[in-house]
Amino acid sequence: MNMPVSPAHADATTPRLHVQRLTKRFGALVANDAVSLTVMPGELHCLLGENGAGKSTLSSCLYGLYRPDEGDIYVDGREMRFASPADAIAAGIGMVHQHFVLVPTFTVLENIIVGTGSGWRLPAAEARRKVEAICQRLSLSLDLDAEVGDLSVGQQQWVEIVKALYLGARLLILDEPTAVLTPQESALLFASLRKMLADGLSVILISHKMNEVLQADRVTVLRRGRVVGSVRTADSSRHELTTMMVGRALSIVDAGERSHGGGTILSVKNVSLRDARGVSLLRDVSLDFRAGEIVGLAGIAGNGQRELFEAICGLRPIDAGEITLDGQRLDSCNPHEIYRMGVGHVPEDRFKDGLVPDFSIAENLVLGDHREKPWRHGLTLDVGRLRQAANEAIKNFSIACNGAEAVVRRLSGGNAQKVILARELARASRVLLCNQPTRGLDVGVIEYVHRQILEKRDAGAAILLASEELEDLIAFCDRIAVIFRGEIMAVLPGRQADIAEIGRLMAGGTDARAADKGMSN
Amino acid sequence: MATTAIMGYRVERRSTRSPLAWALALILAGACALLVCAGLFIAAGADPWQAFAALLKGGLGSKRAIAETMVKATPLILTGLACTIAFRARLWNIGAEGQVFAGAMFAYWCQSTLGDAPAPIQIAAVIVGALIGGALLGGLAGILKARFQVDEVISTVMLNYIIVYALSLLLQNGPWTEAGSFFEQTAMVPDAAQLPILLAKTRLHLGFLFALIVAAFVHVMLLRSSLGYEIRAAGSNLRALEFQGVKITRLIIVVMAISGAVAGLAGAFEVYGVQHRLKSGTLGGLGYTGIIIAILGQLRPMGVVAAALVFGVLLNGATLMQIKSGVPSALIYAVEAIILMFFLIAWAASEFRLRRLHHVG
Amino acid sequence: MWGDLLNLGIIVSVLAATIRIATPILFSALGEVTAERAGVYNMGIEGTMLMGAFIGWLATYESGSSLVGLVAALLAGAVMSLIFAVMVISLKIDQIVTGLALNLLGSGLSTYWLRAAFADMEKVPGISVLRTSPVPLLSDIRVIGPILFNQGLLTYLAFLLVPVIWLFLFRSRLGLEIRCIGENPKALDIKGHSVAARQYGAVIFGGAMAGLGGACLTIASTAHFVPDMVNGRGWLALVIVIAGGWRPGWILAAALFFSFLDALQLQIQGVGIAIPYQILLALPYIAAIVALMIRRRASRAPAMLGVSYRRE
Repeated sequence: MNMPVSPAHADATTPRLHVQRLTKRFGALVANDAVSLTVMPGELHCLLGENGAGKSTLSSCLYGLYRPDEGDIYVDGREMRFASPADAIAAGIGMVHQHFVLVPTFTVLENIIVGTGSGWRLPAAEARRKVEAICQRLSLSLDLDAEVGDLSVGQQQWVEIVKALYLGARLLILDEPTAVLTPQESALLFASLRKMLADGLSVILISHKMNEVLQADRVTVLRRGRVVGSVRTADSSRHELTTMMVGRALSIVDAGERSHGGGTILSVKNVSLRDARGVSLLRDVSLDFRAGEIVGLAGIAGNGQRELFEAICGLRPIDAGEITLDGQRLDSCNPHEIYRMGVGHVPEDRFKDGLVPDFSIAENLVLGDHREKPWRHGLTLDVGRLRQAANEAIKNFSIACNGAEAVVRRLSGGNAQKVILARELARASRVLLCNQPTRGLDVGVIEYVHRQILEKRDAGAAILLASEELEDLIAFCDRIAVIFRGEIMAVLPGRQADIAEIGRLMAGGTDARAADKGMSN
Repeated sequence: MATTAIMGYRVERRSTRSPLAWALALILAGACALLVCAGLFIAAGADPWQAFAALLKGGLGSKRAIAETMVKATPLILTGLACTIAFRARLWNIGAEGQVFAGAMFAYWCQSTLGDAPAPIQIAAVIVGALIGGALLGGLAGILKARFQVDEVISTVMLNYIIVYALSLLLQNGPWTEAGSFFEQTAMVPDAAQLPILLAKTRLHLGFLFALIVAAFVHVMLLRSSLGYEIRAAGSNLRALEFQGVKITRLIIVVMAISGAVAGLAGAFEVYGVQHRLKSGTLGGLGYTGIIIAILGQLRPMGVVAAALVFGVLLNGATLMQIKSGVPSALIYAVEAIILMFFLIAWAASEFRLRRLHHVG
Repeated sequence: MWGDLLNLGIIVSVLAATIRIATPILFSALGEVTAERAGVYNMGIEGTMLMGAFIGWLATYESGSSLVGLVAALLAGAVMSLIFAVMVISLKIDQIVTGLALNLLGSGLSTYWLRAAFADMEKVPGISVLRTSPVPLLSDIRVIGPILFNQGLLTYLAFLLVPVIWLFLFRSRLGLEIRCIGENPKALDIKGHSVAARQYGAVIFGGAMAGLGGACLTIASTAHFVPDMVNGRGWLALVIVIAGGWRPGWILAAALFFSFLDALQLQIQGVGIAIPYQILLALPYIAAIVALMIRRRASRAPAMLGVSYRRE
């Protein structure tokens, strides 16, 4: 396989990509404000910034999904105007989206070839040879006839990368590629990236994880749509980059003195759960939650975290085992009864699971309790009381909005999460369950969420916190349980936990490479 | 983001709908609908002005005409409300059509078993029977959806066909057949069971008033009650409701049953207020028109009442239009659909706006 | 009397009728599955078939040629679905609501047009119906011949369309793209291809097929157009697509099942068995509900069926 080489008119000193004062507006919002960026052939260039800093908008402009309002894009020294992704692909730009854009019911090969070729026939045979060559170059063994839905997330990531290379990418944009990988898998990804870089490929890596950012050759930091600076990684430091990204030195939330935990409040004993087809989702899970203690849950997405939360809340009937709260069995309770017993649940997907987007803040705050005493006034809802409670919540949680009647759909992710927190913290007198409570939020809001959780802990609640940010888990949790394919692999003491050890367990306890059958070197 | 650029302008979708754009789009849609109608008149060889004038005169020209318009609007208010209740929960109850029949049939059964009871009891039996009949058929579709995951659109349409055959079975050589009649119909219902007339020398009956009361009731129910809260929440995000432990299966069945019950009233009111006998055929189309009414009324009870009255004018005026200009009154069904389509287009189009490009690129 | 149904002649006649009756719903279901595989749920099939039946009949009457009638029906179906496509794909109006509106439009427009064109209903003219075209030699085979090879041209065409649609959807480049749109339109969009263009194509093809299906009801079977004569066949086509699991082969099987019920019903009435005809006529609709109750788990609908694609 011939890896991408620079076209004849360009040499190693011509930038692979040069962006000149690119501006993109959405109505009044300036998402990219005169952004300039240069990426050389063979360079691993990191775009660093908080959510909403304009990274995604910039990459969408580079990939032809948005048309910039002002500014120029040069690829290999030639000015480009991308009317659609087709133009960007033709110019040699490939993109791997954060949320994979794959068809789960298609095979790997079908996913790669769909939308390529011409005429009536499927270009299957030629495509297979070409894809096999790419895989060989990357020392990757992908089963091209496997359905993508059956692959692990790590393998799906590779399908996305091969897809881009198959289209002839010479500049690869990777949007948060490691959010779904174990530390070992992501190390493997970076090793393979290095190989591709050596062949002359350029990579733009979008990330906010410092340890990955530092592996790049160069870092461009975006803040509120503007380039704050572009530095060689070798000349910079973690602290400097963070300060550039956030615009101030980051105050680290101090977890404070860790309690040894009081009595057990919530107990999960030998719980097993299968889906409708009989596939095991939770296997013999046992965990105790003590008062004033935070238990972390580490794992790659889709390994049973969501099911564990839902089982505790009574949203999924369990097949075996028992769950007790203050000694009382929860098996036969419905979710509403469980919440009434002092359990708060911050679900994984805030807009899909936790909120009614077309409802006002006031209405969302009583979701689930709308048939209960304080909110009811005879046969109807007590609108006055609802509004009053909402105004208090808006003040206490500093929710940025146009008042209690503001429709939740229009709120930012952070403010929406605060609405959920306001509702769930009020319930969580005994237990607080948080599944990915800080995903996709700004640093400031993340700090805020962490403080709220710690406050709840200090008030004596038992807390379950699942997060993809292993560093956060280590910083806040008293114990960390690692889950893999529905099984608790180990429970580690929080502060001493070693990130590599957690990563090893997240991949099933064995070497990550062997656990992931699609990969072999 | 729509990115079609024409002559330096670009069509963009915006997140909020401006009331001005909406009003403008609505006026444009109305004009387009009128133009298409005029085209249809001309195609039928009639003078559009004359036809329109006859249509309006027939619908609003006299006190009697207005009363008759209200008679025509009565079942449409109810079927419109039935659809509104279900649609608000994003349950596509297309079965108001069949639930109208079920309500009329069950009401007839209840009332006819009573014999010679006094009028208030007979009328109460009609109303209760209509509610139960409609609720049974609507609830059945709800059970099919909640317990068997059968798409409610298709199941309700199938039930619409089935119930019409069931009525035909009962009316043709069946227990309800009018003795000696060639037509598929029952005998006249007793005077005591007929809905009282509100305005002398017209057909305006108690049902109209009742429909308005139901509209007010549905309005309060949707906006203030816990059930209404759940209906609206289900329409926006069913999963969030499920996460709070609300029993979705029960909610679906209850909503479909209530929706059916309201539609059932429409059927019984037609039989006991207007036709005074149950026959196959005359109840057809009320449910389907209710869908249009609900959407034109923006799924708001007061909007439904307004839309139903407008359609009452059209339906009522159509007779005079046919006599005066020779345009077949079947036109109204085409016009209803055309109005609905332009309305939908206007609603969608008002989400867009033209923006001048800062920089053509 | 039930025993009369087991006579070989009657069995042959029931099966031959099954094939014949399957023709219109097969056209519509195969068109619909193409649109649904592209993620567009066209519920306006009933109204589209009605327009096809009416325009096909009217054009045949005006021109005296069945071929002109068929082409007109195809175009009528295409125009109906073009209206649908503009509203649903370009304007992103809810697919269910738009589909219902299309049904009402088809019903209202065909009825009005009929009444406007032929003011005196007693004098609505008839057209000469397409005859059967027996296949030489094959139609002489005992039993099988009269069942399979003594049918109308449109029937052969409809059955031929089954493997054609299968090949298109599962073996062609464009078919893969269409299926990709139904599962995850973004996957095609980010490769720089227009999702909307393919959806338009699939929907308009589906509408044209529904128009043809409707025309079978007039041009190939009855001389007259009667308002609302499609009588739920468009809805049955939707059921057949679901029951057939969005696969052409199984769609054929489902279509045959429903038309068998219909054929049996005709025959039962024919031999004079005393079952009220209303029960027999309601049978396909009851069967449809039962089929959907059984089918629910196994079915695998396109993931993005009915969801308008917006590039965020």
